[in-house]
Amino acid sequence: MFKSYHKLVSTVVIVALASVSAIAGDDASRTYENGKKVIDGGMTYPVKDGKTASYYVNTQKEYNDVKFGRTATPNEIKAWDIDVMPDGTGLPEGEGSVEDGDELYEAKCSSCHFDFGVGGSGYPALQQGNAYEMQKTLTNQRLTPEDDGPKRNFGSYWPYASTLYWYIKTGMPHPAPMSLSVDETYALVAYMLSINEITIDGEELEDEYVLNREKFLKIQMPNKDGFIPVIDGKDGLENVRKFYDDPKNFGANKTRCMKDCFDGEPKVARIQGVGISEYDPPLSAKKEKPAKKEGEGAGNPGQATYDSSCAVCHATDAMGAPPSGDKAAWDRTLKKGKEEVYKNGINGINGMPPKGGNTSLTDEQFKAAVDFMIESAK
Amino acid sequence: MNKMTKTSEQKLASIVDESMELISRRNFFRKAAVYSASAVVATSVLSPVKLNAADDPAIIEEQEWGTKWGEPVTTNLYGQPSAYESNVTRRTTSLLSSGNMRASIAVTPIQDIEGIITPNGLFFNRNHGGTPDIDPNMHRLMVHGLLEKPLVLTMDQLKKYPRVTRTHFIECPANGGPEWRNPQFPSIQFSKGFMSCAEWTGVYIKDIIKDLGLKPTARWMLAEGVDSSHMGRTIPIDKVLDDAMIVWGQNGEALRPEQGYPIRLLVPGWEGNLSVKWLGRLEFASEPFYCKEETAKYTALTPSGKAIQHFYINEVNSVISSPCPEKPWEDIKKGDTVEIEGLAWSGAGTVSGVDISFDGGKNWVEASLKGLVLPKSWTRFSYIYKYEGKPLFLSSRARDDAGYVQPSIKQERDAVGIEGVYHRNGIHTWEITKKGEVKNVQILS
Repeated sequence: MFKSYHKLVSTVVIVALASVSAIAGDDASRTYENGKKVIDGGMTYPVKDGKTASYYVNTQKEYNDVKFGRTATPNEIKAWDIDVMPDGTGLPEGEGSVEDGDELYEAKCSSCHFDFGVGGSGYPALQQGNAYEMQKTLTNQRLTPEDDGPKRNFGSYWPYASTLYWYIKTGMPHPAPMSLSVDETYALVAYMLSINEITIDGEELEDEYVLNREKFLKIQMPNKDGFIPVIDGKDGLENVRKFYDDPKNFGANKTRCMKDCFDGEPKVARIQGVGISEYDPPLSAKKEKPAKKEGEGAGNPGQATYDSSCAVCHATDAMGAPPSGDKAAWDRTLKKGKEEVYKNGINGINGMPPKGGNTSLTDEQFKAAVDFMIESAK
Repeated sequence: MNKMTKTSEQKLASIVDESMELISRRNFFRKAAVYSASAVVATSVLSPVKLNAADDPAIIEEQEWGTKWGEPVTTNLYGQPSAYESNVTRRTTSLLSSGNMRASIAVTPIQDIEGIITPNGLFFNRNHGGTPDIDPNMHRLMVHGLLEKPLVLTMDQLKKYPRVTRTHFIECPANGGPEWRNPQFPSIQFSKGFMSCAEWTGVYIKDIIKDLGLKPTARWMLAEGVDSSHMGRTIPIDKVLDDAMIVWGQNGEALRPEQGYPIRLLVPGWEGNLSVKWLGRLEFASEPFYCKEETAKYTALTPSGKAIQHFYINEVNSVISSPCPEKPWEDIKKGDTVEIEGLAWSGAGTVSGVDISFDGGKNWVEASLKGLVLPKSWTRFSYIYKYEGKPLFLSSRARDDAGYVQPSIKQERDAVGIEGVYHRNGIHTWEITKKGEVKNVQILS
């Protein structure tokens, strides 16, 4: 305690720069073996006397002779090389219209992203208005509860459209990725550009607009120059290195104040109301055996499918789907007969994609989930 | 509690109530009958004796586990925690989840973690398309792009490279991110639990690519998963050739499915999202890839309207884990001497020290570091404190060997604003009330 007190009075402000390596010992370095500074502004731990930091390492020269595996074949690389880069690398030839995209969107996307991509229920908005206008909101800061925040979405924020093509093709629809064709992907990208009011070569994307590879490569996103450091081109890495060499660029601090670090009493911000305190499971520090859940182990085979593939839309009426457990809604649906309900569900109807979007379900699994929802509604 | 123990508890309570009652022979025999299976033990405990209110039933009463067989060694051939630890789990909140819980996060109960290692079942879990069920016999790692020799490895072949074992934290850069504008969570688990720390075993990527003829134009590496999200991230070659690893071991066993089984990338100290799980493909290129997670997300918007991209390190940070909202000081009395304990970490290097403040960061004293102090790892700190029963604003502030010191919330906001979402490492403060409750607050001075 006395020692700490002594430190407190004798080192009111320590600017931690040159003195730091003495604290850390000499096992750390700010530069790599090639003499370049560590790219992230941090430290590296070169092997010295058979150790890196506190870890011993094997320094036998035969270490580098270990090699296994085989050469990848061209077909294997083609099968797995699914990325699409800003310069068009990986972008296939194909085409799709805004109109086709709209139809696909209704069938495969709107159940989560809602009409016109407004988002909700934990799923992101795909547009929040004219992208060029929304891009201007990126300087907004919500300093008071009345302030509007920055609108970050595909149109206003993303620097390149290649990211969108790549993500839709390989990651969407979320329950059935890799299921869209090249043309379908072009159509959905065209629709996304159109709802964000993004123009290509000055041209607005009307319903009949057909997007293809050539036009795609002309897309200039509104926020293309909105990111620092600049990582493109042959100087990309050096730009990054330089950026992180200056703590001011990313809000880092190197000053250690010990006494009277601010004036007066501390200004305190507290949680408003109960804050965010609904957790699953609820917080508890008790040492207790778990409570047995009612009906545990009953194991309805349809429930597992329902939980994983149907609940997202059928848990509530927010999506317009008959909610599980809602007797009136299911009575209406069942008027056409159970077989018809199965058939419509398997093939898709209105906002309901085929098998709810999870086409990997067998018909039996799908029917069991429908049965579960009907049973729950009785 | 079973019936027998309950009976004896009630009995003991009545004995204590009547204080100093001498137990008669008759009472003993009645009790012995209840404990018929354990009469011998009962004799020694329940011989006529004067009981005092201060006598602890946990000691006076014989317990079931001392008088009956336990489970055979054949029970739980893969061990499980005690059933009494049932409340020590990862947790979720709908605020941070997609409706289908597939693109979601479950966070670590750091209030219950001992030392610097997170048990595998409690390691935080952020998924983008659910946890896949990958057959390791059908899993491959492909390395291609700007190299002379594109490579394919089976998992068995990968594991023949010389193994490296390192202890590193993985932190989601959104740890603390929901609290840029205000404290929100009355909980350390949600306020700081988007992170965990483990001992990882795998290989350095530099050891795999050393003879593949990497071309000088290769500046970036794409790492991509094979799960349904096919999530990718771009990593600069400098980090690939420094300490980036491909790992299959976590705390002495195979990675759990939720942590990337059979293999994941490990990018020590950097945004957790870069440590791509279910790793299938590494591609080297001259230009960055602009993956979805490095444009839509994982960029930090500043008040200028420009966003910091490729914001790699999880900067120096710390939090006091005892006390915390889940482990308050309500049972600590004025005059008690207690340990204040916490976690410090830095993605830039090694924690070199931690300071503690009792007045919200106006004045500081130095805490002790405890145990192993390793690069890019959780590090424990400790301060022994005589509690005076007065309200406190208890803060911690870590620093690292790169020279970085945790900023105050004001310093951080002045520098990067409040809309960054990611990379918030401002000083964390708990308010200790007069009653010993612990509240999550922010000091804006």
